[in-house]
Amino acid sequence: MTDRRAVITGLGIVSPVGIGAEASWEALVAGRSGIDRITFFDTSAFDTDVAGEVKGFEPTNYMAPKDVRRHDRSTHLAVAATGEALRHAGLLGENGMVGPDVDADRFGMVFGSGIGGVGLLLEGHTTLMERGPRRVSPFMLPHMLPDSPSGQVAIEFGIRGPNMAVVSACATGGHAVGEAMESIVRGQADIMLGAGTEAPLLPLAFAGFSQMRALGTPKDPDTGEYNAQMASRPFDLTRDGFVVSEGAAVLVLEELEHARARGATPIAEVIGFGSAADAFDMAAPADRGEGNQRAMKAALARAGIGPDAVDYINAHGTSTPLNDRFETVAIREVFGEHADRLAVSSTKSMTGHAMGAAGAIEAFVCAKVVSTGCIPPTINYRHPDPELTLDYVPNEARAADVRVALSNSMGLGGHNSSVIIRRFED
Amino acid sequence: MVTGLGAITPIGNDPAAFWAHLVAGVSGVGPITQFDATDQEVRIAAEVKGFDPRDWMDFKQARRMSRFAHFGVAAARQAIDDAGLEIGDHNRDDIAVVVNTGGGGLAEVALGETTFQTRGPARVSPFMVPMMSPSMAAAQISIQNGIRGPVITSVAACASSVQAFVEAQRLIEHGDVDVVIAGGTESAILPVSFAALANMGALSKRNDEPERASRPFDAGRDGFVFGEAAGAFIVESAEHAAKRGATVIAEIAGGAMTGDAFHISAPDPSGYGASLAMKRAVTDAHLEPEQVDYVVAHGTSTPLNDATESKAIRAAFAEHADRLAVSSNKSMVGHTLGAAGAMSGLAAVFAIRDGLIPPTINQEAADPACDLDYVPNAARRATVNVAIVNGFGFGGQNVVTVFRRPEG
Repeated sequence: MTDRRAVITGLGIVSPVGIGAEASWEALVAGRSGIDRITFFDTSAFDTDVAGEVKGFEPTNYMAPKDVRRHDRSTHLAVAATGEALRHAGLLGENGMVGPDVDADRFGMVFGSGIGGVGLLLEGHTTLMERGPRRVSPFMLPHMLPDSPSGQVAIEFGIRGPNMAVVSACATGGHAVGEAMESIVRGQADIMLGAGTEAPLLPLAFAGFSQMRALGTPKDPDTGEYNAQMASRPFDLTRDGFVVSEGAAVLVLEELEHARARGATPIAEVIGFGSAADAFDMAAPADRGEGNQRAMKAALARAGIGPDAVDYINAHGTSTPLNDRFETVAIREVFGEHADRLAVSSTKSMTGHAMGAAGAIEAFVCAKVVSTGCIPPTINYRHPDPELTLDYVPNEARAADVRVALSNSMGLGGHNSSVIIRRFED
Repeated sequence: MVTGLGAITPIGNDPAAFWAHLVAGVSGVGPITQFDATDQEVRIAAEVKGFDPRDWMDFKQARRMSRFAHFGVAAARQAIDDAGLEIGDHNRDDIAVVVNTGGGGLAEVALGETTFQTRGPARVSPFMVPMMSPSMAAAQISIQNGIRGPVITSVAACASSVQAFVEAQRLIEHGDVDVVIAGGTESAILPVSFAALANMGALSKRNDEPERASRPFDAGRDGFVFGEAAGAFIVESAEHAAKRGATVIAEIAGGAMTGDAFHISAPDPSGYGASLAMKRAVTDAHLEPEQVDYVVAHGTSTPLNDATESKAIRAAFAEHADRLAVSSNKSMVGHTLGAAGAMSGLAAVFAIRDGLIPPTINQEAADPACDLDYVPNAARRATVNVAIVNGFGFGGQNVVTVFRRPEG
């Protein structure tokens, strides 16, 4: 259909395991958890008190103080991660905007978020209740919509091409990277950011998840002692829920010839994207990960490769009993015997679950895996679940010749997305 | 190819009622009834009237969905029936849902926060998170109808549902699926959203004459009227429509998106991004600007948008701008944010089908900055072969879709 190829030329990330690509990757390879006791609000009324907070993040390092005040934290994280990715890709001019040698009209983004600036909405609601409607901030509304990060990133850096914000709950990041790839392959743009951001660490959101009985218990399953870092235990027999976290990740996707012409170095290539709905239930995944299976198959078909070509899967692996079981079944169904030769790890064991940013964070991981030949582990894996028998790369990173990596993301409402990233080859 | 329509709107809860009232110039704006707005600066809205979700789904399902999802499910159901589309094992994997929104289940967040503050975290509904997610209208349409292809929600503020058309066309052109249920939905008639929008200075303050409050392009315009609505379109490939003998109402011929990269709530006053999106959309449809007959304007009734949009239309169409009909249905349905593009899509499709251009009502005093033909106050008979729909969102997201009369 087309010979346009979408290569990755820049990466940026702000996550609970580190600010910046170097710090985050170093922590993931070292198996270091970013999960800890919540410091953002008083947790005394809650059953659980852990989350993946981004530590030491100072938004004024990335945005003017006036803009920082008006924007939600999800936008702060988005702008910070984008700045890093654009610098990495060599796309920033001296004034901190996209350089004059790049056609900003052919440069766009799909910047997703699961819930957008819900923090600002809650501030506005509190003001309304306590002080009346006339005191609600005039900046609240445009700054809280889920497309506010994508709007502000465009403004901060002068990016004027196709601009959209996809929302598919926890599958958002995967959809964003996939749709960005499609925009390049289809010729709608020459450079696209595929990205996600989320800042859901608010008492109300926490209460909502807590009431769904979806959150992991922060204790050592062997000793019963409190242990924040052990709350996320994907694929382990004792897993009992996920850990909410925040963060943003940005992949700069660029048409190969465009990248070559300006002398940019391709880090990896996004070659496949598949999307499918469960059409089953609002919260629970479909039996045997049926929708996830179809998304993986669609991504393989789009990439034009067979299951045997895949070496590594970055699992959605949330650490809930049901997700990890069904995802394992889905991988077995799609990959057959090859499933036993695959490495599968869940970096949510360290980052927690950053909702709409998760798929972008994990696409970042896949890009690093294929470009470095190192697979980050699933930490906190001590008790094999007899039903879950894949190679989950337990507890320690592994050197491996990974040419093709697949990232799975699934969301509330039955959204499934799979993205395939390949080592860059001419 | 557009083969089916659904609509829940302030001027009618099905496409036929919507169109009849739009052509008759009936305003859907009135005093706010969904909450006590006594202490609000703005007390008018374009609300959907007489909508009962139980007409479209069972009581238990309805309770676990936010109002924006109710609207989306209802409009999609109408569109599926209108198109005579049967969904079963033979095709459920080859149908996609792209139903966008601006804010999603804001009502659930506001309700959850009130519960949280007054009664504590243990009383927050376990359904709050799945109910509030903006992706839930599309997800519920998928669940209620057993549709298992791609289910996508994208948000571009007020341009959201125009983007749904662009996405639908792409999914079909590239052969990903045969059928897309595309559209938008919004329901956020809440104290907090009215307070915020009023304090932005975005809303009309004509509380005493609601039906005259939304007056796009008129010199007396003073802001938009916030509304709620949903619109759904069955979009399918020409082959698929022909094979099942469906009636084609119109064709989505092209689309484009651009970003202003200018300001989070104000449009770039040069109109550059908006005019670029119009030009690219027409090119994408393999048409010349001179072939466009009707522009369904974004036309919000804010001083800045309407002047900028008029300038952008002139920049995109040059001399042909004076031969174009331009009208804004927001004069009647208000600004329904994430559903606004779907409202405009309905206007475009019906204008092509019936050779009738709906008016912009409340045109009383001309604004020198708005010097196009806005079809003032009364509908007009005219052959419409090509209509474009403009949608411009907060944050400078410009999206344009081109609708065309089906060939043959």
